[in-house]
Amino acid sequence: MSTMDPSRTDLGFTDPDPRRSGPLDRIPSIVLPIVSVLLAFAVGAILIWLQGVSPLRAYAVLFSNALGTPEGLLRVMEKSTPLILTGLAVTVGLRAGLFNIGAQGQLLVGAIGAAWAGYHFQLPVIVHLPFAILFGMLCGAAWASIAGVLRAYRSVSEVITTIMLNAIAIALVDYLASQPLKEEGQPLTRTPAIAETATLPVFGIVPSGFLLAIAVAVFFGWFLTRTTQGFRFNTIGLNPTAARYAGISVKGTIVLAMAVSGALAGLGGAIETLGVTGRFEPAFNAGLGFDGITIALLARANPIATIPAALLIGTMRTGAAALQFQTGIEPEVVDVILAITLLFVSAPIVARLLFRNRNIKQTTVTSGWGS
Amino acid sequence: MHRKFVLAAVAASALLLAACGGSSSDSASSGGSESAGGSSQAAGGGGEGDCPGADAFCIGLVTDTGKVDDKSFNQSAWEGALEAAKATGGYAKYVETVDPKDYENNINQFVSAGYDAIVTVGFLMGEASVAAAKANPNVNFVGVDQFQAETIPNLTGLVFPEDKAGFAAGYLAGLMTKTGKVGAVLGTDTVPPVKLFGEGYKAGVLAANPEAEVTLVYHAPDNAFNDPEWGAAEAKKQLAQGADIIFGAGGNTGNGALIEIAKAPGAGETIFCIGVDTDQYATVPQAQKCLLTSAEKKLTQGTRDLLLLAKEGKFPGGNFLGLTGLAPFHDTEAVVPEEVKAKVAEIVAALDAGTLKTDVSLG
Amino acid sequence: MRARYAYALAIIIGIAILVFYAMDQVRTVSVLAFSLRYAVPLILAAMVGIICERSGVINIGIEGQMLMSAFAGFFGAAVTGNLILGTLIGVGTGMIMGAFLAVGAVTWKMDQIIAGTVINILAVGLTSFFYAQGQVLPGNTPIVAIPVLSDIPLVGPVLFENGLFTYAALIVPLVLWVLLFKTRWGLRTRAVGEKPSAADTSGVGVQGLRFWNVTVAGILAGMAGAYLAIEATGTFERGFTAGRGFTALAIMIFGAWNPIGALGAAFFFGLTQGLASQLQADEVVAIPQQFINMLPYVLTILLLAIVSGRIKPPAAVGKPYEKD
Repeated sequence: MSTMDPSRTDLGFTDPDPRRSGPLDRIPSIVLPIVSVLLAFAVGAILIWLQGVSPLRAYAVLFSNALGTPEGLLRVMEKSTPLILTGLAVTVGLRAGLFNIGAQGQLLVGAIGAAWAGYHFQLPVIVHLPFAILFGMLCGAAWASIAGVLRAYRSVSEVITTIMLNAIAIALVDYLASQPLKEEGQPLTRTPAIAETATLPVFGIVPSGFLLAIAVAVFFGWFLTRTTQGFRFNTIGLNPTAARYAGISVKGTIVLAMAVSGALAGLGGAIETLGVTGRFEPAFNAGLGFDGITIALLARANPIATIPAALLIGTMRTGAAALQFQTGIEPEVVDVILAITLLFVSAPIVARLLFRNRNIKQTTVTSGWGS
Repeated sequence: MHRKFVLAAVAASALLLAACGGSSSDSASSGGSESAGGSSQAAGGGGEGDCPGADAFCIGLVTDTGKVDDKSFNQSAWEGALEAAKATGGYAKYVETVDPKDYENNINQFVSAGYDAIVTVGFLMGEASVAAAKANPNVNFVGVDQFQAETIPNLTGLVFPEDKAGFAAGYLAGLMTKTGKVGAVLGTDTVPPVKLFGEGYKAGVLAANPEAEVTLVYHAPDNAFNDPEWGAAEAKKQLAQGADIIFGAGGNTGNGALIEIAKAPGAGETIFCIGVDTDQYATVPQAQKCLLTSAEKKLTQGTRDLLLLAKEGKFPGGNFLGLTGLAPFHDTEAVVPEEVKAKVAEIVAALDAGTLKTDVSLG
Repeated sequence: MRARYAYALAIIIGIAILVFYAMDQVRTVSVLAFSLRYAVPLILAAMVGIICERSGVINIGIEGQMLMSAFAGFFGAAVTGNLILGTLIGVGTGMIMGAFLAVGAVTWKMDQIIAGTVINILAVGLTSFFYAQGQVLPGNTPIVAIPVLSDIPLVGPVLFENGLFTYAALIVPLVLWVLLFKTRWGLRTRAVGEKPSAADTSGVGVQGLRFWNVTVAGILAGMAGAYLAIEATGTFERGFTAGRGFTALAIMIFGAWNPIGALGAAFFFGLTQGLASQLQADEVVAIPQQFINMLPYVLTILLLAIVSGRIKPPAAVGKPYEKD
């Protein structure tokens, strides 16, 4: 890493800083998020209390419903799966210095692609299921590649193109599900149901899609830190000039990173279709890509950390309905808690209270755009 | 050490607050146990805010993705549930769906709490309702906007001929227009009721006034029902292009159009707007000035009637055709000529009787 | 975008508008008015982005800042029964949200995108949680026709018969351009955004300037929010900013971090929206609705791809300043 331009700030996630490698200094990385979450719940408690409900009871309801029953656990895992994957999609982009705001669009095309592959073919399970999953990933990758190619070869900021591609994807899948891929004789905008052979199984209460997402997150934890290609991603993210001197094809790597990012979001969509909804219906996939941004930031662009971050959000979203049913608290309180968690994890307030060192260095997860 | 102490103090005081909240909430939420008191109360928290038991008639309502105060179908259905609760001396409670994948779970919360009737709002929930009804034959389900292909005795789809309401509104617009141009600002055409309203409206205008020009503009599917600024801008554009009556049908997007038209010079005299779903004179007071009528789906009434039938043990099953019609003229009462009123009333009656067809289908 | 492309594009669009005007005055004027109206919140929001990024701070929280301001402005006006007071509350809320970002991104040196994202999520949660139905504004904002100017054909009815926020949206970019490129403040701001260490050496207080720029930019986000709630729609609904804050970021980049460029980009985007709705209204083409709705976004991407965006963001954007 000595080739790096010293004037650039440490992006935080490579964390080669020797000052932070001692065993005691490792604690912050675990303690800080936990304390932040607890404090965020304390702030949320005030909101709940203002509504005239006991916060302790509210949280008991929230968590017991999500984590205390087998159905709740299943739903937590189902909800966390696309969040892990869109979180990873944003993470991979961030590591390569790309801000992919388009995970939502990539997820949608992946979801409808998997649906088409899932209902249009009659194949044995062993072929059909992997094919449907891969086809969804391919759709996501292709969609993201538009932004990647434009960024690499036409210097168009991926921030603009992914925002625009989100809007286009929403209209496109809406068209596909209401015209060419529409289920016959159905007033609803949706595709036919996928074949049995393309359905992701549930093992007991554990959806196979969830296991797949965990495996992918672990794989990327290894990939980004231990492989040459991962090193290339990090290097173009940290310093494209140095990368060029090191003989890395910056353009090719940008396109590849964007495609990988899109494939991950597409996988999220494919698992939604093949494992949860069983067909593509536009309204069923709203907002998942945007949660991905939050998760990547909460996990500080660390692939493994997307798992607990996604589980946290998945748990709260699962419990929110029960919260309203039993206490009348509106489900949006979850968003407030989430925002405050993100603030406490990232802002130095909590860290300064926890650790005596007032000069804890703030690290950044994201680089600027387009530079 | 000092800072750790501060932190501990903060955490402790938050927990203390939480504990205090526990005791004070009992008095605050006791109001929630009163049935049918109002939307916020009826969904109140606390153990006593739940279905009181086997002898009371308990109604649960699951919204489509959206809020119960959406000034639209969720709200109308909820008002119907409240009216039914009041009439039967029962209890009503709602849960708002955030993620469509929670439909099933949200319905099941009411089932396991022993509710007698459950209202599910919106055509997207159709399959979840069918599944829940088959699994729980002792609970009656009202599926608002859900057409039933097969008859399940404990599930009634409350469906509306939106094209008829749109047709009647269009017929009125066709008779009332002076410029010969009328417009419509609509949510997305991939939602069947919206398209039925829009196409019915167009057919109605042309039936009354074959020379008229009808402009239908749908929002993009993204944020289709929650973009009032787009609706307002589109309404203004249509006014500038000579339309003098505009139909706003698409949640907050359509409401934005109505409010914009009310601001136009001549609103309520030469420029009019037409609302949708409920009598929007009440739900969008900003639009009262221009509001000619609303193409109503009597959702509140239909929901209430079905729930009352459920209570009496006469739940029909299959499909229940709700009423449509036009809301009262209110402020524009004096502007609409008597012969127009008479003619429109005739059309509404003919549509209801089935002697007049709109010839609109969702091809 | 390189300047000559911008000029060429502006000229082509200008000629096209004149041709359409000659063919159909009413349609042309009303479509242009739609376009401008669509552009107003985008222009104001893009200016927020430009001030922040020129100072070296990414503001991805514009959407949330607008939503909070619209919420505060609407309910402020409804509760006090005073439009002016409500507008001030809305604009003030924008400034508070600006200060929120400034504290996080500048004082605390937080990751800037995280700081902005916190604002976005918080705004969605809080405005939804505290939303109340049944509030109505005490009146409407006036439409002011500027004498003489409003009588000019084509230009008059489009540009000079508008509400006050619309005029603000037209004037702010010009003023900001002068401020950024012709004043000491502008020079310092750009220095802080490009090479903060050099600015620091020459005596510019990097942290202080960034803090105040980000805070004051919040006022413009407040104006965009107040515009939506009070001037444009007369209502507040949950999430009704509908992604305009993000579109504004795209417009800021499209306009090459230049206020005039962003003004043009916002108007171009508004124009594609106006065109999309008019194509639907006139049923001139028999293609599915969804493809017409895609038009604005496809055109924007195509245009950027053709002219190639060799535009560089301010060099220090996204990086908290650390003294060496």
